[in-house]
Amino acid sequence: MKIGVFICHCGENIGRTVDCPRVAKACAWFPGVAVSIDYKYMCSDPGQNMIKDEIRKHKLDAIVVGSCSPHMHEKTFRKAAVSAGINPFLVEIANLREHCSWVHDDIDAATDKAIELTKMAVEKVKHNQPLTTIEVPVTKRTLVIGGGIAGIQAALDVANAGYEVVLVEKEPSIGGHMSQLSETFPTLDCSQCILTPRMVEVYQHPKIKLLSYSEVEKVEGFIGNFTVTIRKKARHIDETLCTGCGLCVTKCPVKKKAYNSFEENLAYRPAVYVPFPQAVPNIPVIDETVCTYYKTGKCQMCVKVCGREAIRFEQQDTMVTEDVGAIIVATGYKLYSIDRKPEDSMLKGYGEYGYGKYKDVIDGLQFERIASASGPTEGEMKRPSDGKVPKKVVFIQCVGSRDESKGFSYCSKICCMYTAKHAMLYKHKVHDGEAYVFYMDIRSGGKMYEEFVRRAIEEDGVKYVRGRVSKIYEENGKYIVKGEDTIAGMPVVIDADMVVLATAMIAQPEASDLAQTIGIPYDKYGFYNEAHPKLRPVESTTGGVFLAGACQSPKDIPESVAMASAAAAKALVLFGSDKLEREPVIAKVNEALCAGCFYCRKVCPYSAVEVRDIVTRDGVVLKQVAYVNEGLCQGCGTCTATCPSKSIELAGFNNEEIFAQIAAL
Amino acid sequence: MSENFEPKIVAFVCNWCTYTGADLAGTSRLKYPTNVKLIRVMCSGGIDPVFILKAFERGADGILVSGCHPNDCHYNAGNFHARRRWEFFDELLKFTGVEKERLQFSWVSASEGKKFVDVVTKVTNDIRALGPFKSYKLINEEFTAQFPETPVNENEVILSGENA
Amino acid sequence: MEELRKLAKELLEKKEIAAVIGYRQISAMRTKPIIAKTAEDCEQLVFNEYCLNNLAVYLTKARIKELKRVNGSVLKLAVTAKPCDIHSVIALMQESQMKREDVYIIGFNCHGVVKDFDIAFRGETLAQKCIPCETHKPLYFDSILGEVKETPAAPDKVIEKIKEIEVMTAEQRFKYFKSEFDKCIKCFACRAACPLCYCQRCITDKTIPRWIESSPHSRGNYSWNIVRAFHLSGRCIGCGECERACPMDIPLSLLNRKMAIEAKEAYSYVSGRSLETPTLVGSYDVKDSDELFM
Repeated sequence: MKIGVFICHCGENIGRTVDCPRVAKACAWFPGVAVSIDYKYMCSDPGQNMIKDEIRKHKLDAIVVGSCSPHMHEKTFRKAAVSAGINPFLVEIANLREHCSWVHDDIDAATDKAIELTKMAVEKVKHNQPLTTIEVPVTKRTLVIGGGIAGIQAALDVANAGYEVVLVEKEPSIGGHMSQLSETFPTLDCSQCILTPRMVEVYQHPKIKLLSYSEVEKVEGFIGNFTVTIRKKARHIDETLCTGCGLCVTKCPVKKKAYNSFEENLAYRPAVYVPFPQAVPNIPVIDETVCTYYKTGKCQMCVKVCGREAIRFEQQDTMVTEDVGAIIVATGYKLYSIDRKPEDSMLKGYGEYGYGKYKDVIDGLQFERIASASGPTEGEMKRPSDGKVPKKVVFIQCVGSRDESKGFSYCSKICCMYTAKHAMLYKHKVHDGEAYVFYMDIRSGGKMYEEFVRRAIEEDGVKYVRGRVSKIYEENGKYIVKGEDTIAGMPVVIDADMVVLATAMIAQPEASDLAQTIGIPYDKYGFYNEAHPKLRPVESTTGGVFLAGACQSPKDIPESVAMASAAAAKALVLFGSDKLEREPVIAKVNEALCAGCFYCRKVCPYSAVEVRDIVTRDGVVLKQVAYVNEGLCQGCGTCTATCPSKSIELAGFNNEEIFAQIAAL
Repeated sequence: MSENFEPKIVAFVCNWCTYTGADLAGTSRLKYPTNVKLIRVMCSGGIDPVFILKAFERGADGILVSGCHPNDCHYNAGNFHARRRWEFFDELLKFTGVEKERLQFSWVSASEGKKFVDVVTKVTNDIRALGPFKSYKLINEEFTAQFPETPVNENEVILSGENA
Repeated sequence: MEELRKLAKELLEKKEIAAVIGYRQISAMRTKPIIAKTAEDCEQLVFNEYCLNNLAVYLTKARIKELKRVNGSVLKLAVTAKPCDIHSVIALMQESQMKREDVYIIGFNCHGVVKDFDIAFRGETLAQKCIPCETHKPLYFDSILGEVKETPAAPDKVIEKIKEIEVMTAEQRFKYFKSEFDKCIKCFACRAACPLCYCQRCITDKTIPRWIESSPHSRGNYSWNIVRAFHLSGRCIGCGECERACPMDIPLSLLNRKMAIEAKEAYSYVSGRSLETPTLVGSYDVKDSDELFM
């Protein structure tokens, strides 16, 4: 076998710490290596052309490229090999950058290691088999998880391209957090006004199947061929009969037992409720935990007033199975709750701000509800405790963000903008009010964002104080806010009527559970990992699953919408052909050797191993052996390590290849 | 322990988590000792104890096996099976006289570049303190004494020929 | 004895079974396995304290399985088995090597067997495997024979040796096992005698690539014995046949017993006890310990 070794300098990235010419020279002596050269940029056009030329010139059978991580450019070099006539699986990458030049300082040691790593790759490629990609059919339907603005946008884009979408939303209505906002920055558009037409479009779209008040329970399968089990939670209302007249909601006698989570717990809702008037679908839900019927069997006021007899107390959750080819995850975010009783152990709380203790210390979403015309105060700026109009409001930024000790190290990105917006809204409603903003920095990097913040300061007279707040306590009906003005270099004390905290944007508490259900990775905060932070921000590492919106990282509405459209585009790319090419890294059983213990079948996470009878011509079953279903096998190789006799091997990582790598050490 | 002993460490890592975590260590320019060479497999479930024995035979002084955290396996369950398997193998090796620091295990996720560096540095330091794997070198030497092999470094063979 | 022979003949006559795998007496203190296909053969069947072989090992051999096919129909095989042998049978069933309905188990209540042939059966000559045994009555059977008697008491030398080894330093342990493994001549008698070593092509016979060398030298001996013990961990039921078969007296039971203890302590699992329990290998619990992992 004739092997070509190509060592890339990657400019200075590898070249500075690894002596690439020396590596290339050393590799030239390895048995089987016909040509060994180094070059500044192997992945560039001239670099790739050089590889192709050398393949043709020396009639090479396989190549080894010493370069950056295979996760970066394996595909690039495989394509180059294919165009020069070599099977793409006879290409091996030695990771000389991320695993060598970037992590070591000593030039000699790093170069020696580079030679060893390349040697291991050379030995491995000698045993590589040429493989052909497998084709599987694609189900051209998409599942969108999450009905906020990102989910809605993604669903509309895919549906408008002509493909069916199943949109699953866990709340009774779609809309997400954007439907709770009063106005959006930087245009100060009424949030619901720009959102509700989209919500209605989704509801009426012939290609979108909306499963509201539902959650994803199980995801099986793989890219192009997912089978998803969804739990449709029982609303206790027959959706086919309900007209959304709302009589049941008005007449329900249970008025003060449950808080309305849409109103951020600033108002109550009845036992049978619609989360907000513009809810889509406009069908109520009966909350079993507070409804009198479920406790005593009495009341049934809703049944009495319902003209369509749509109440169904005995309704159970139903399970729906959907076959889809792509999944777009748009599950959004939650605001960091920081009262004295944190919901889970990660949150340590800013007890000194009194959130949870004082009714008038509120967070951003609660302020949005107060400012909203359809909120609990009908848009009047009234504080929660006594309904008085606050004359001095203090806004505190970075509560929980950029704080490694008590919160999260990251910046939540949107708080500077929405705090400016909140301060402006307040000033527009209370002309003689005073607004103070305590900030560390102002991050307003979007289009017209900086101008927006200047407007708040210059036109609306919001006072910005650079410093943090150490404590808030109540005195004579006022909230004493003790902070620091670092520019003036002196402490600041403000007797505020209301305090608004810009709390961190965090991942939903069930985010990691959902990630495990789908099979996608997530980081320590619960945000979902993208395939590559720079160049593949919309895909997860799991094929066929795409990410949109704040579930991946904190972001604002235009970014969420852009990401949603990008995710939709990725799904559409998948649907562009009828068949999907899958990597042929799958397991294969040597039936002559298999003893039929089926340990491989027990360990396979995808149930891809089946039982096959080996039968004589007379129909007598000689033995039963394992058989790998090519369509289901994902190529993890657990079966190969479990088989005691090594009768099952993984193409691309078979026994010989791994042995060769170990032997080359 | 000899002063200039540089241990040879082999790491069997899973493609999706630990290998990517090692990449992240690289992109973050974190530094760690050069002693470790990574062998990539698709999943920690696909690492057979037989690889470990072969690596020791081939002169490794220490071995690291690393994969995705439980529940985060790219293939859902590979690392769960790995977990049980290693429990037995580790006990067996310890029982038959391999020091427990010579075979170490970790869960390193794709976002844990720093943890990868810490793990590798710890393993390297542990092995450096222990010294070369004399026990295995002993049975290796007895083998090569009985069955002389071709030298592992074929470079020498080529250079000592016409090209010397 | 009469009961056994009568039962065997009956089963053959009724064409319920194709053959009985049992023991026959060769001399006063020695038995040998026999495949009884006729009534005449059945007259030789015995069961006593000298029935040392684990007959379950035959159930996976192709030539024996062929016997099941008689005149176009497939019959069962009967096997006379001590309770420990039945654990092997159950373990094989757990690994899909045969179904419960394929084997007619003639189980015997057992109070122990002698440690080797041509030695009188007494307390001190009790086989090592019988000392910790807790199943004197078979867990699964189609017929049950034999009286229930007391097992003589004896100290469990294997556990004592294991404990002794556990307090040695790593170097001492390696030295001990190296000296034992150096005796190995790679005859693979242990593999041949073990009912659970039924792989059609053992990993040590795989030459491309050669993971485990099959010639006798310290390196290959170490890896062979380690890998065999590892492949049996969580599966070995402790019949001790490997150790009895070993011509070099290598203390294989130390390794296998240690792994069995590990299986019991870490996963509360004992192999070959129940057809309903999933095997240890191939299952996992999300809550398994992460102690080993950094």
